[in-house]
Amino acid sequence: MNDPFKIFGVARRFDIDLVEFAKIHRVLSRALHPDKYAQAGASERRAALEKAASVNEAWRVLRSPVRRAEALFALAGVAVGENHEPKPGVEFLMEMLEEREALAEARAAKDLAKVRALGSAMAARLAETEAKLASGFAKSFAPTGPTGPEPAAAELAMVVPFLGQLRFYTRFLDEVSLIEEEND
Amino acid sequence: MAYSEKVIEHAENPRNVGTLDKNDPNVGTGLVGAPACGDVMRLQIRVSDDGVIQDAKFKTFGCGSAIASSSLATEWIKGKKVEEAEAIRNVDIVNELNLPPVKIHCSVLAEDAIKSAIADYRAKQTAKRGAAE
Repeated sequence: MNDPFKIFGVARRFDIDLVEFAKIHRVLSRALHPDKYAQAGASERRAALEKAASVNEAWRVLRSPVRRAEALFALAGVAVGENHEPKPGVEFLMEMLEEREALAEARAAKDLAKVRALGSAMAARLAETEAKLASGFAKSFAPTGPTGPEPAAAELAMVVPFLGQLRFYTRFLDEVSLIEEEND
Repeated sequence: MAYSEKVIEHAENPRNVGTLDKNDPNVGTGLVGAPACGDVMRLQIRVSDDGVIQDAKFKTFGCGSAIASSSLATEWIKGKKVEEAEAIRNVDIVNELNLPPVKIHCSVLAEDAIKSAIADYRAKQTAKRGAAE
């Protein structure tokens, strides 16, 4: 995987300032714009195009908390994704199912206030989980952090369940946005 | 990504959506989730005294393939003996629905849901026998 943080020229961390990163993306994209290479040779033009594509891909990863976390785990050598993550506990699943059912009911009843309330409660949980991930990654990627990559990876592996939670919460919030759109 | 016709058919007309009384000792409830995608699936069975699955219901919050996999699973296990239902493998679901490789985890989820419902049913039956003694 290309290191999206390297492409953006910034240190690896989870809690990023999206406004600042959007600015970096704009600056990088502008510098690589095909118009700037109109007079350049074919190979130079192609290189700029490829670089622009990798900048866009890096931004796509960085702007999404789930993809950003996945990238940081991969960079730290911690396997995530299908078959690599622990199964969520029954209690957590029960809660998620109940929340999804409540959301489906609010949607059917066209109760937009309820939809929004469920959404903001879930957004608060998402923020909590993001904070846990941020502190986990901060320890692992700290310049003066644990000695060598191996202990850091072991420590980071304990944070993996939070990535799963992040996906469940994100799914829920995507659903909330969808309902808000259809009621606009 | 294109869904197969069977997936679309099940996703648009899911069979056996609903709930069974989870406090009924003859009802087993399976609850599973995929951390890699954030899908949640609940599958319930009601088993007769001679070990036949009389009814099955599910509720899935997830993609079309996850809904289709659980819908198909409930269709298949109804009328089967618990042991027969337990023998259903995710590949059977993959083949029936023509699931692409990226959606195989949806069928795994459905298989896990069946197993988890059966495990819950058995635990309840054991508890019931224990209470009767």
